[in-house]
Amino acid sequence: MSERIKEHPILGVQEKGKSVKFTFDGKELEGYEGEPIAAALKANGVMVHRYTRKEHKPRGIFCAIGRCTDCVMVVNGVPNVRTCITPLVEGMEVCTQYGVSAKPFEEQ
Amino acid sequence: MKRYDLVIVGAGPSGLSAAIEAAKKGMKVVVFDENEKPGGQLFKQIHKFFGSKEHRAKIRGFVIGQQLLEEAGEAGVEVVLNATVIGLYQDKEVVVRKGDRVEHYKGNAVIIATGAAENMVTFPGWTLPGVIGAGAAQTMMNIHGVLPGKRVLMLGSGNVGLVVSFQLEQCGCEVAAIVDAAPRVGGYGVHAAKVARTGVPFYLSHTVVEAEGEDHVTGVTIAEIDSNFQFIPGTEKHFDVDTICVAVGLSPMSQLLKMAGCKMEDDPKRGGQVPICDPYGRTSLPGVFAAGDVAGIEEASSAMIEGRMAGIVAAEYLGYIDEEELKSELASLDEALNGLRQGMFAPQNRGKAIEKTEEGIDISESLLKNGYVADDEIEKYPGVTHKTGIHPVIECTQNIPCNPCQDACKKGCISIGSKITSLPIVVDDSECINCGMCVASCSGQAIFLVDESCQDGTATVTLPYEFLPLPEAGTKGKGLGRDGKVVCDAEVVSVKSMKAFDKTNLLTIRVPREYAMKARFFKVV
Ligand SMILES: Cc1cc2nc3c(=O)[nH]c(=O)nc-3n(C[C@H](O)[C@H](O)[C@H](O)COP(=O)(O)OP(=O)(O)OC[C@H]3O[C@@H](n4cnc5c(N)ncnc54)[C@H](O)[C@@H]3O)c2cc1C
Ligand code: SF4
Ligand code: SF4
Ligand code: FES
Repeated sequence: MSERIKEHPILGVQEKGKSVKFTFDGKELEGYEGEPIAAALKANGVMVHRYTRKEHKPRGIFCAIGRCTDCVMVVNGVPNVRTCITPLVEGMEVCTQYGVSAKPFEEQ
Repeated sequence: MKRYDLVIVGAGPSGLSAAIEAAKKGMKVVVFDENEKPGGQLFKQIHKFFGSKEHRAKIRGFVIGQQLLEEAGEAGVEVVLNATVIGLYQDKEVVVRKGDRVEHYKGNAVIIATGAAENMVTFPGWTLPGVIGAGAAQTMMNIHGVLPGKRVLMLGSGNVGLVVSFQLEQCGCEVAAIVDAAPRVGGYGVHAAKVARTGVPFYLSHTVVEAEGEDHVTGVTIAEIDSNFQFIPGTEKHFDVDTICVAVGLSPMSQLLKMAGCKMEDDPKRGGQVPICDPYGRTSLPGVFAAGDVAGIEEASSAMIEGRMAGIVAAEYLGYIDEEELKSELASLDEALNGLRQGMFAPQNRGKAIEKTEEGIDISESLLKNGYVADDEIEKYPGVTHKTGIHPVIECTQNIPCNPCQDACKKGCISIGSKITSLPIVVDDSECINCGMCVASCSGQAIFLVDESCQDGTATVTLPYEFLPLPEAGTKGKGLGRDGKVVCDAEVVSVKSMKAFDKTNLLTIRVPREYAMKARFFKVV
C-alpha cells in the first residue's frame, strides 16, 4: 500500500486500527478497521466511486468530510453511503455506484 | 426536550473556547458537532501558529486542539459528536440529527460556531475524480494518513493554498505549481517563501483551462488571464498531475442563523452571508450569538478569542456574571483580538494593494508575484544584516501579527518591540550563541543562521527543515536559492533535532562564501 504515509515528519507514525479485509466490486482489498472506507480505497489506488445517473460521469472523493456526496457508493447492498465518513468494517462489500445501483448501466 | 443553559453548535476552536469560558462561569453547556472527532479545522493544521504567546503562537494547530479539548473536559463541558444540528428556531430550540434519530434541545442561550465551507470554482473537468478541495487533502493526509495524490497542482495562493502545499510536500507529494487568478499571492509572504524555496513555481494571473483525464485526472492545462479574466492565447502550460487541489476561499456556514431569523448581510470582507452582530457576537436575536468563521472568515487564533467573548457575553445574558465582570473580561480580550487584526493582511486591508511596510520599506514585488523575495531586494529589510561570526538572518518582510522570534532569543538578538506587526530586526551589538531557538520558533520558517566568516572561503547556513528523510551530516547535495533553483554545491555539516525545537530540525549546510546570502534550502540531487 504505497499510498499510505508511513512516517510523517511532524505527526510521526500514525496509529492505525487492526488490518481488515473488504471487497471492492468483488475484489479483495485490505484496509484498517475504523478508517473511512474512502481512505482505504484511496490507499488502494481506487479513484472512481460512482458514475452519475444521467450523464454517466465519474465521481470520487471531493470534500472528504461528508458534505458533497460525490463519494457515495453501494455498501453492503445499501446505495448512497458517504464513504468518506463511514468507518470500514471487516468483510464490508463496497461497490461502485452506477446511478443508484451497483449494477453497471448496461445491465440495468 | 432536554434543556441547557447554553447550546453551542460546532466544536472547532471558537465553539470549544466559548464552551470553556461559559462552563467556567458555572453554566451547563453542551456542544454539538457533526464530526466523529471534535476540534474543527485545528486537527488538520500541523504548522506552528502565528500571533504572540497569548494567542498560543508557535504551537502547532493540532496541539492547540488537544489543549482545548483538555480544558473543555476539565471545565465539565459536554461534547456530543456525530450530531448535526439541522434546525434552530427563534425560541432557541435546537434540532439535532444523530444517525437516524432527530432530537430536540432547548438552550437558554445559543452560540453558533459552525465555521466555514470551502468555495469552489468550475472549469472543464472539475468534477473528475482527482479534483479535490484543499480541506479534503488535509483530511486525507493529516487525519487518515493517506496521500491525496502523487503530483498535485494547487489552485489558490491564499494561506490555505500555501499551507496545504507545504503539507503535501511534507508527506511526500510533489507540488507541480501553485496557480492563482489574482495578480498577487494572497497569503503571508513567509508561507509562500517556504514553499517557493523547495522549488515550487508560482503562476499568478493564471487559472485552469481544463482538467484532463477520462476516469480521473491525468493532467491539467493552465493559462494566463488578462484583467478581464480572459485567457491570453499562447500562454497555455501543461502539467502531468494526478490531483488538482482547490483552495479558493471559504464561505461562512451561516444557514442556521438565517433560519432562526437573525438579520443577515452580505459582506465580502467577511467572506459572504454573515449575521449582523456586534463585536462580541450578539446577533439581532437576544440570546443567540455567533463566533468564529461563521461570523466572518479569519483564523483559528481570532476564532478562539471570539469564542471566549461569546461565552462570556452569554454568561452575562443569563446572569452568571454581572456587567462589571463582563466589561473587565471583554476589555482584555478586546486587546488580544486587536493585536491579531493588525498589519497588511488585517480584515480591514483585504483587497487593498499595500506597497510599503509600516517602516516605509517597499514590499517585495517578487514575493507577491513569484512567492520569494529576490536576491537584490532582501538586504532592504531590517532582519537581514551582515556580521562577523554566526548571526540570525530574518527574512520576514511583511507586517504580520507575529512575534515568537523575539521571545525565542534569550540573548536579545531579535527585536520586534511592542507593536506586534513590526518587522523583526537584528539588535546591534547583540551576541548570537547559535542556540537555534529562533529558527525553530519562527512560525514562518523565515529565520536562518549564517556564518560568513569561515576561514576556508566557505560559509555555513542553518535552515529549518521539516521533511523526511532527514539528511545526515556529510551528505552532499545542492544549495537552492529562494526561488528553489540550484545555486551551488552544499554539504550538510550538522543536523540538530531537540525537543524544544518541536519537530523543526535545524540543518546546517556549508556553501561557498558568495552563496551565504543566497542558499536557503538543501536538496540531495
Ligand atoms: C489549511 C488551513 C490553514 C489554516 N491556518 C491557520 C493558521 O495558521 N492560523 C490560524 O489562526 N488559522 C488558520 N486557519 C483558519 C482556521 O482553521 C479557521 O479560521 C478556524 O478553524 C475557524 O474556527 P471555527 O471554530 O470558527 O470553525 P471550524 O474550525 O470550522 O469549526 C466548526 C465546526 O462546526 C461543525 N459544524 C458545522 N456545522 C454544523 C452543524 N450544523 N451541526 C454540527 N456541527 C457543525 C464543523 O464540522 C466543525 O467541526 C487555517 C485554515 C485552513 C483551512
Ligand atoms: S540562535 Fe539563539 S542566540 Fe542566536 S539569534 Fe537565534 S535565538 Fe538568539
Ligand atoms: S520572523 Fe518572527 S515575526 Fe516573522 S514569521 Fe518568524 S516568528 Fe513571526
Ligand atoms: S467526499 Fe464529499 S461527501 Fe464524501
